[in-house]
Amino acid sequence: MNTNGSGPAIVTRALERTIVGQEGVIEGLLLGLLCSGHVLLEGPPGLAKTLACRSLADALHGEFKRIQFTPDLLPSDIVGTRIFDQRESAFTTVRGPIFANVVLADEINRAPAKVQSALLEAMQERQVTIGPQTHPLPDPFIVMATMNPLDSEGTYALPVAQMDRFLLKVDVGYPSRTEELAILERFAIADAPVIAPVATLDQVREWRAQAHNVHIDDALKRYIVELVVITREAQHPAIDYGASPRATLAIANLARAKALLEQRDYAVPDDARSVAMLALRHRIGFNFRVSADGGASRVLEQLIAKVPAP
Amino acid sequence: MAFIGRAGSADLRSVTHPVLRTFTSIVLVALVATLFITTARGQSLQRLTITQLTLASDTTTPHLEVPFHLIVTAHVRERISELDNLDLPILAELELLGDEHTLVPQGGGTTYRETITVVAHHSGAITIAPVTLDAIDARDGKAKRYSSNSLTVHVAGLSAVAVTVDAWQGIRAFFAGLVKVVLLLVGIGAVIFVIAALIRRRPPPAPLVTLAPAIPVVRDPKAALREALATLRREPTRAGAMRARSIVRRMVGASDAETLADVLRRPLAADPSLRDLLRALERAGFTHDADLGVAVAAAIAQLEHMTR
Repeated sequence: MNTNGSGPAIVTRALERTIVGQEGVIEGLLLGLLCSGHVLLEGPPGLAKTLACRSLADALHGEFKRIQFTPDLLPSDIVGTRIFDQRESAFTTVRGPIFANVVLADEINRAPAKVQSALLEAMQERQVTIGPQTHPLPDPFIVMATMNPLDSEGTYALPVAQMDRFLLKVDVGYPSRTEELAILERFAIADAPVIAPVATLDQVREWRAQAHNVHIDDALKRYIVELVVITREAQHPAIDYGASPRATLAIANLARAKALLEQRDYAVPDDARSVAMLALRHRIGFNFRVSADGGASRVLEQLIAKVPAP
Repeated sequence: MAFIGRAGSADLRSVTHPVLRTFTSIVLVALVATLFITTARGQSLQRLTITQLTLASDTTTPHLEVPFHLIVTAHVRERISELDNLDLPILAELELLGDEHTLVPQGGGTTYRETITVVAHHSGAITIAPVTLDAIDARDGKAKRYSSNSLTVHVAGLSAVAVTVDAWQGIRAFFAGLVKVVLLLVGIGAVIFVIAALIRRRPPPAPLVTLAPAIPVVRDPKAALREALATLRREPTRAGAMRARSIVRRMVGASDAETLADVLRRPLAADPSLRDLLRALERAGFTHDADLGVAVAAAIAQLEHMTR
């Protein structure tokens, strides 16, 4: 286990130098990176979501692309297309913005289902097919999709099956007064500073291998299963349906990554509990009475708290 | 529906087939028309003369973790079969257990009553926002939003619980509680007086056996640490580490079902050495087999340091 400061924590520290507050977002991005998973960020505009994603790519010396989802977007605008070159008298492939290490899908719910599924298929398969050829996506490849909860008019809600493809969902909240003052002092005159690379993509692949090898004790595995099963068996009046077994895998993987961030090669119950909300919140069907802001999270917190830790 | 029932039971046996077909067609047309009217009604506001819209609670003493009911009552002058566009508040601070409603023709109109069963999981004041009802006022033909009163519930853990709909009810509830407390104290005093009088009359009983000294409720922390150390030395395995972890957790008033973060938040776990010990035992409990020996040795060293 790497504990001399060259682990993934250096990326966290680099991001913290640029982004004021938003520890949850930074940790969510790092967890997604370490687990090869994709991240859904939900929050109002102006909360440094784009800056966080761009900074992550800069810190890793990776390629960053941003796609603004709009109702008239086409799948080929994301994955790429083939165009006819008259001089060569042949078709050439033009790769879309999805060919990047860190892809920011801004306001993913503004595009129709066909475009959403094109992106989500690429996220799942980690390759895209343009014409007769299949192209692998770069490694690491992480999609960070944003949704704005305040402005739902003219949006296409993501279906449950597609929400399930995101490893975790981070609710991005407003900064505190102190943090907002720091933002004012840091960014009032100058633009956000560009982060110098602190790690390489090879290091990211190495960290992933380390995260994969983090030990999870049998008692902890049973605890993770109980955290998911309670969402299905609690018969809570606010829940229409509970989380799928994919959530169990997600919590286990996130707990491993969390342990690695804490410079441990074994996971403890706190790791599982602290990531449970990230993995479960978007995989549970809450009914309309609690779907509004805050209520669903409170219900889920109560359920998680009911499960005895090992 | 009653007309269909009567026709089916008596008259249809004697009518001919064309008559039966005609009759069936009329019934189908009537059903389709009813469906259209219902759909159209659902898409627009109802035309109503609303005379009452209230939000109340069925008890003035809701207890923590004990279900109680919120009752929404609306009365309209019209005869209606359903009440559309009634918006209930989001009960974020209460857990919803059930919800049912009835519509009863009453007093030349209709009374709508919705009973929401809820339970509170934390004590303190909980304010429930008003219920709103959108309708066209039958008196002037204008679309309006009617709003009920809001409701503030003061949930108390064990004793005083007050539900105040307005200031007067709050004062009444306070004085009622005060009277109850006074009556309770008087009752307890009377019981003590009677018991004391009876004891004075009886001769004191002679002791028959000598009881063993009682086990102190508050344990000596050093003794607990020594016990954990002995456990870990006797059994330097994961199971032994979990047993030692359990002993140290009990020492700070925590249970095995809490996570380390919960345990470290306890006031008795504020000591830095104790926090290091709790972390060392957590490592010994959950680390991989290759690291187990080192983790147990680290926990033993920390225990030795603290018991010195």
